[in-house]
Amino acid sequence: MTDPFSIDLLTNYLLVGAALFALGMLGFVSRRNLIVMFLSAEMMLQGVGLSLVAFGRFHGNWTGQVFTIVILTVAACEASIAMALIVVLYNRKESLDVTLWQEVREEGVGPTDLVDEATQAAPLEHEDGIETYPTLTPAGLEPAHPIQPWTERRR
Amino acid sequence: MGFFVDNIWLVPACPLVGGLFAGFVARRVKIDPFAPVAIGVGLAFLLSLAAYAAADPEKTVVVSRWIEAGSFVVPLEFRVDGLSTLMLSMVTFISFLVVVFAGGYMAGDPGYPRFFAEIGLFVFSMTGLVLSNNYVLTYAFWEGVGVCSYLLIGFWYAKPAAAAAAVKAFLVNRLGDIGFALAIFWLWTVVPNHDLSYQNVLADSTLQSLPEAARWGIPLLLFWAATAKSAQLPLYVWLPDAMEGPTPVSALIHAATMVTAGVYLIARSTPLIALSPEVQLLIATIGCLTALLAALIALTQNDLKRVMAYSTVSQLGYMFMALGSGVGSLARLAIVAGMFHLFTHAFFKALLFLASGSVMHSMGDVIDMRRFRGLRRRMPYTCWTFALGALALAGIFPTAGFWSKDEVLVALGAAPHASREIGFGMGWLYGPLYWLAMLTAFLTAFYTFRAFFMTFWGPEKLPGPDDPEAPPAPVAAHDHGHDHEDHAADAHGHGHHEIGLESPAIMTYPMIVLAAGALLVGLLFGPTGLFEGHLEHTLGFESLPAAGHAFTWTTPIVSTIVALAGIALAFVMYAEPSDLPARVAAAVRPLYRASLNKFHVDEIYDGTVMALLRGFTLGSRIFDVKVIGGLVQGVANVPWAAAKDVLAKYQNGLIQFYAAASALSVAVLLWLLLFT
Repeated sequence: MTDPFSIDLLTNYLLVGAALFALGMLGFVSRRNLIVMFLSAEMMLQGVGLSLVAFGRFHGNWTGQVFTIVILTVAACEASIAMALIVVLYNRKESLDVTLWQEVREEGVGPTDLVDEATQAAPLEHEDGIETYPTLTPAGLEPAHPIQPWTERRR
Repeated sequence: MGFFVDNIWLVPACPLVGGLFAGFVARRVKIDPFAPVAIGVGLAFLLSLAAYAAADPEKTVVVSRWIEAGSFVVPLEFRVDGLSTLMLSMVTFISFLVVVFAGGYMAGDPGYPRFFAEIGLFVFSMTGLVLSNNYVLTYAFWEGVGVCSYLLIGFWYAKPAAAAAAVKAFLVNRLGDIGFALAIFWLWTVVPNHDLSYQNVLADSTLQSLPEAARWGIPLLLFWAATAKSAQLPLYVWLPDAMEGPTPVSALIHAATMVTAGVYLIARSTPLIALSPEVQLLIATIGCLTALLAALIALTQNDLKRVMAYSTVSQLGYMFMALGSGVGSLARLAIVAGMFHLFTHAFFKALLFLASGSVMHSMGDVIDMRRFRGLRRRMPYTCWTFALGALALAGIFPTAGFWSKDEVLVALGAAPHASREIGFGMGWLYGPLYWLAMLTAFLTAFYTFRAFFMTFWGPEKLPGPDDPEAPPAPVAAHDHGHDHEDHAADAHGHGHHEIGLESPAIMTYPMIVLAAGALLVGLLFGPTGLFEGHLEHTLGFESLPAAGHAFTWTTPIVSTIVALAGIALAFVMYAEPSDLPARVAAAVRPLYRASLNKFHVDEIYDGTVMALLRGFTLGSRIFDVKVIGGLVQGVANVPWAAAKDVLAKYQNGLIQFYAAASALSVAVLLWLLLFT
């Protein structure tokens, strides 16, 4: 019996899975917002899950499917815990910026440079009146670039 | 009959169930814990009698599977032959009487249910031991007996002496167990099919095919095991100390359930032991030396129970002398003599212990013979049953001891001749052993009646607080807590009645039954040939050579004369209080001191073996703490130091850094795994 799910098809699925995983990892490493980092981690998980399902289909059994469902269940639990933690962290610092938590480091190790940037970027202005919500923090450090004419014009 | 034999497991099961019931249930359902154990042991006795009548050398009963590991198969299998049914009937009968006695003796003790639960377990272990049909199962029950003796000797565990005695008994028995275990291992390697059942190990074909070393090595190891359990020379030291337990326990240990196990093991393995006359001679020699040494120690002891304890050691020596004299054509006669002495000894020794317990009960826990005297009017039952037991122990016609001790001596006397027949050169050594045994018989009669006269004869005297031998009264004022503790440990219902009264009927009846036994079993079983006839139904017994031994008058006459001489000497020295014993003691002062101090055997052991062991323990401890502990600590320190100096500076608190570091590490790892 020939399986319509050929190795080429599997490769496609695996490529998509790997791409999801890599993107998630890049996002996790480069982003400073806790929620975005968490979403990136979820994306990595989905990449793995996709590979598992593809492999399961390729081998003609249900192992990958079942395993993925287990992973999704665990991920759901993890999400609830992570959100609870994020809320706690936000209440402490009034910000979602993860670099504000640099002081949980080994004694005797100096702070990393970007702490200044972070403190500039992070604080939330309290405004009277309407309740305000946190805005997204910038993703990492903005690379140094020459000022382009079209931006110049907007200023 | 067939039903009882096929369900022979009921014999161990009854005491076990009784013991468990007494220990866990009896108090909740408001039943005297004494009842279930007495009923269980009594039932076991009746079942044993049924099995006794149906003994068959080939009859085995598989109760269930037990160990099955590849080719090594050990079933839970019982053997119902002459030797095991004989032991079974004797053990359950004596145990039943002791349990009944204990019902009176232990009344009011705070550990009453525990006592009967442990007694039930003890009888269970011993009946299992004599029934089991292979060496491994025997070993398991052998250990069970050891554990129960530990529990019962240490019954009054709050008393330091009792706790120490229990530990000592357990450890010394452990030493013997090493021999048994080694013997089993060795047997396993040499017998066909690795089958350790008796019918396989003791079969002629197996015995013929044993390698040369195993022919004397295994008997030697088995005898090593027996020396601990049956209190022989190097390892007898635990038995006299076992007196710290309650008296019924002593009676049980000394007569039925403990020390007979070693004799039983040797008797059971006789076809194996008979392969090596050298080991037999060693067994006889050790037995003889033990008998003599213990008798010499018993001469001067002042503690009534201790005299009895040493006499047990001495009589066990007799049994081993008999078993060891079975060279060549004497094998059958020897095993019959040894087992017969075991059988009769069980009756009169249990009786003597129960009578001693009765004296102790009546004297308010005083057991020092110098503190009471002339009790024969106050305690007539105890006195006259004790007298019968003492006559049997001394070997006076027609009591049980006379028949069995003479048989031992006859076997020993015939041994040199039998050794010459099979060309065993060292057999002449049995000659001196015979005369040493005679000397021991004299000493036995003397110390037994010394105890009897000191306790029951002469002017009446009861223990008072102002005796010179009395232990110093505890000073109440500053030592009150300790005093109270001691009292709690000693109190087992003796405080509430007046001292110097005859014991209640529940205690005297077992003594009367045993006294009848001590008087009659020898006459019933010995000259009538009943005993030998029953042992014929034992596995491997037909293959042992049977010599028609000519009856001679020499041994019975000489042994009766020496026994009477011993009694007469005891009467002269101790019937009335006089300074004669003191003068004799002063005349041979070094000997007297040596005997009184038990020839310093305990101290010698303490100075040599124990000192070595303590040194070894200390060395092990130092090794453990310094080397092993240092190694573990050192290994644990490596990552700690590495982390502290190298890795700590990378913990900078940046989640992104951590994530990138782990991702890179995984990437490197994958690279290494996939592309190298």
